[in-house]
Amino acid sequence: MSLTVDSVSKKFGRFPALNGASFVAPQGGFVSLLGPSGSGKTTLLRILGGLEFADSGSVRFADLNWLDMPARTRNAGFVFQQYALFKHMTVADNIAFGLRVRPRRTRPSKAAITDRVKQLLDLVQLPGLEARYPSQLSGGQRQRVAVARALAIEPRMLLLDEPFGALDAKVRKELRSDLRRIHDHTGVTTVFVTHDQEEAFAVADLVAVMKDGRIEQYGAPADVRRNPRTAFVSEFLTA
Amino acid sequence: MSAIGLKLVPLRSRHVLPGFSLSLGFTLFYMTSLMLIPLLALVLRPAGLGLDGFWSAISTPRVLASLRLSFGMALAAAAIDSVFGFIIAWVLVRYRFPGKALLDAVIDLPFALPTAVAGIALSTLYAPNGWIGSLLIAHGIKIAYTPWGVLVAMTFIGLPFTVRTLQPVLSELGLEVEEAAATLGATRLQTIARVVLPMLVPAILTGAAMAFARGAGEYGSIIFIAGNIPAVSEIAPLLIVTKLEQYDYAGAAAIGVVMLAASFVMLLALNGLQSWAAKRR
Amino acid sequence: MKATFRKPTEDPIWLKALLGALAVGFIAILLLLPLVLVFKEALAHGLSAFWAAMVEPDSLAAVRLSLTAAAIAVPLNTLFGISAAWSIAKFDFPGKTFLVTLIDLPFSVSPVVSGLIYVLVFGAQGWFGPRLADYNIHILFALPGIVLATIFVTFPFVARELIPLMMDQGRDEEEAAATLGASGFSTFLRVTLPNIKWGLLYGVLLCNARALGEFGAVSVVSGHIRGVTNTMPLHVELLYNNYDYVGAFAVAALLAMLGLVTLALKSLLEWRYADELAAMHRH
Repeated sequence: MSLTVDSVSKKFGRFPALNGASFVAPQGGFVSLLGPSGSGKTTLLRILGGLEFADSGSVRFADLNWLDMPARTRNAGFVFQQYALFKHMTVADNIAFGLRVRPRRTRPSKAAITDRVKQLLDLVQLPGLEARYPSQLSGGQRQRVAVARALAIEPRMLLLDEPFGALDAKVRKELRSDLRRIHDHTGVTTVFVTHDQEEAFAVADLVAVMKDGRIEQYGAPADVRRNPRTAFVSEFLTA
Repeated sequence: MSAIGLKLVPLRSRHVLPGFSLSLGFTLFYMTSLMLIPLLALVLRPAGLGLDGFWSAISTPRVLASLRLSFGMALAAAAIDSVFGFIIAWVLVRYRFPGKALLDAVIDLPFALPTAVAGIALSTLYAPNGWIGSLLIAHGIKIAYTPWGVLVAMTFIGLPFTVRTLQPVLSELGLEVEEAAATLGATRLQTIARVVLPMLVPAILTGAAMAFARGAGEYGSIIFIAGNIPAVSEIAPLLIVTKLEQYDYAGAAAIGVVMLAASFVMLLALNGLQSWAAKRR
Repeated sequence: MKATFRKPTEDPIWLKALLGALAVGFIAILLLLPLVLVFKEALAHGLSAFWAAMVEPDSLAAVRLSLTAAAIAVPLNTLFGISAAWSIAKFDFPGKTFLVTLIDLPFSVSPVVSGLIYVLVFGAQGWFGPRLADYNIHILFALPGIVLATIFVTFPFVARELIPLMMDQGRDEEEAAATLGASGFSTFLRVTLPNIKWGLLYGVLLCNARALGEFGAVSVVSGHIRGVTNTMPLHVELLYNNYDYVGAFAVAALLAMLGLVTLALKSLLEWRYADELAAMHRH
């Protein structure tokens, strides 16, 4: 049940954002896509989430042809850099959203939804904030709600797009270790995008260093650090 | 030159930049003499009638019918403009097609076209022998010279308000919240109904309120197509003009006060809507 | 190659077609058709009939009157707008927000009411009417009344373009000029004016368009004396009510062209000077 990304490519107009990216991650793994802006990491993540379509290549996960499925059916939780919380809904309604839009057959009862929201808020360490609105929360709190909302649907895969980019250093550190803790607790396959190598190396099991739409090197943090395969990788890691 | 600037700094308060009392003074003088004093004349005139006199001037069947027509049709027109305003704003913001810029510019036509021009054009168009009127009369539908003509004219006048209020809000909304809803399993319909529309409600209401306010007070675009039959298709502004022609200044002023009061209420409502919208961000 | 779906934020093709058709159809029928009709009717009896209607003495008189009223009202309102924006943007004083709201008032008042108030002040039963008549000064049913009504309905235009613009631009540059010894007027001319010129032009454009096209307010104060106190819009009404359709639509076409030129210039200004004008959208 591993995640197999095979030669995925995508062009925007004439600009090749992704140029044959490939990697394999075990189920429950924690992968970081690391690279400078323009390296294609966000494009790859969005393709995994169903928000963009690949021009060529394939992705297999959980025995499914991932790219054949629309975003709605993939059950891939996505956390955006700017959180994308529903500002007109309370925290509880935000988190419950994914459960409430399910067709009647698979929709949990109201009581079950309320319980789940409470559990998730506890998990992201925001107990009791059900009735707040996003505008009343700090950046770090909003990000936690975004994570809780993505986890509510019991996703097969958790995708995070520079989730801590808009936050200050101290909050970033807290959230990153929380993210690791949540991952270990839930066991969900996680892919997260960052341009911050310290962050990638601190948190991920596997790091993919990207440049110009390709993965230059892929492996465990320690391996990549010790044996950089290209000049770009070694420069990027020491910068 | 510099002497003039320095001399006009008032003794009581000191300002860094020159010209405060000159600019504020002129501003206040202009507004008071040209706006506030004449408005005062409007408000005071019915006062001469006393409360009873004012009330009887307002509550004749003809006056009430005209107020009902003006405000009622303006409400209906605002509703129509809100629905189509949303559709048009959606198409202009979200879709790409050739000629979009031209379509966008055309929306402002009711703003740019003098009301009398719009009035005679609409009247000719929807008259029984007009391009559209002749098509409808075959089905027994009369527009011109009926209250429906009033509705058409008000819809024409109000459309730019609803579209232009929604457009910036819709484009600012961005696509991320819709993407988020999709990854959480929502269908397109669910996303629009539960995420997009609720976020647009303040802007929709604001546009509707502006269209309503404009329609209720509109004159030139309506009187040609309306029919102007007392108690049937006579709008309140026209009744004011009629009363003036009959030298019934007090009666005209009484209706004018009602319309002015309605304008104030709309202004307050709009301000309220703006701050409600701002709080939700 | 696997199947490609639309992006989750894109509408299905059938919905795009439906909404597109509704939007274009609504705009074409409601907005464009009347405009087309104006020109069609104006030229219904050929170009020579159109021209004859235009140069008819009463029509020319109406054009002259409209231009005169605008030539007085627009500069005065521009002066007001600059003055109001200067005091509001560059200074702090109590009641500032109230003042700004008040400036918007003519926009929410019915045009008929805008004319009515001047009748109540200067009319035969008005406050000053009889007294002024003693001195043979006639405000109503003459140019002054028309100018006053025009001023009332158009005075917010320049002000509400300039106020957010100048507020956005802050006071730094003017304060710098003050420290360098420049007087008020000098500062305004050399420092402020270049910064606001596009917003100013935009406001003047809209003010002028409305001044030439105003109907309701002017109708109440004008007296409708053919060839004397009829502005262009009033003349259109007179011709139309007298069944002179070619005449009415000819003058209407002229006004419509004015409207279209205004629209075009407005779009041009918005497009080229989006940044300078951006302040007005934010407020």
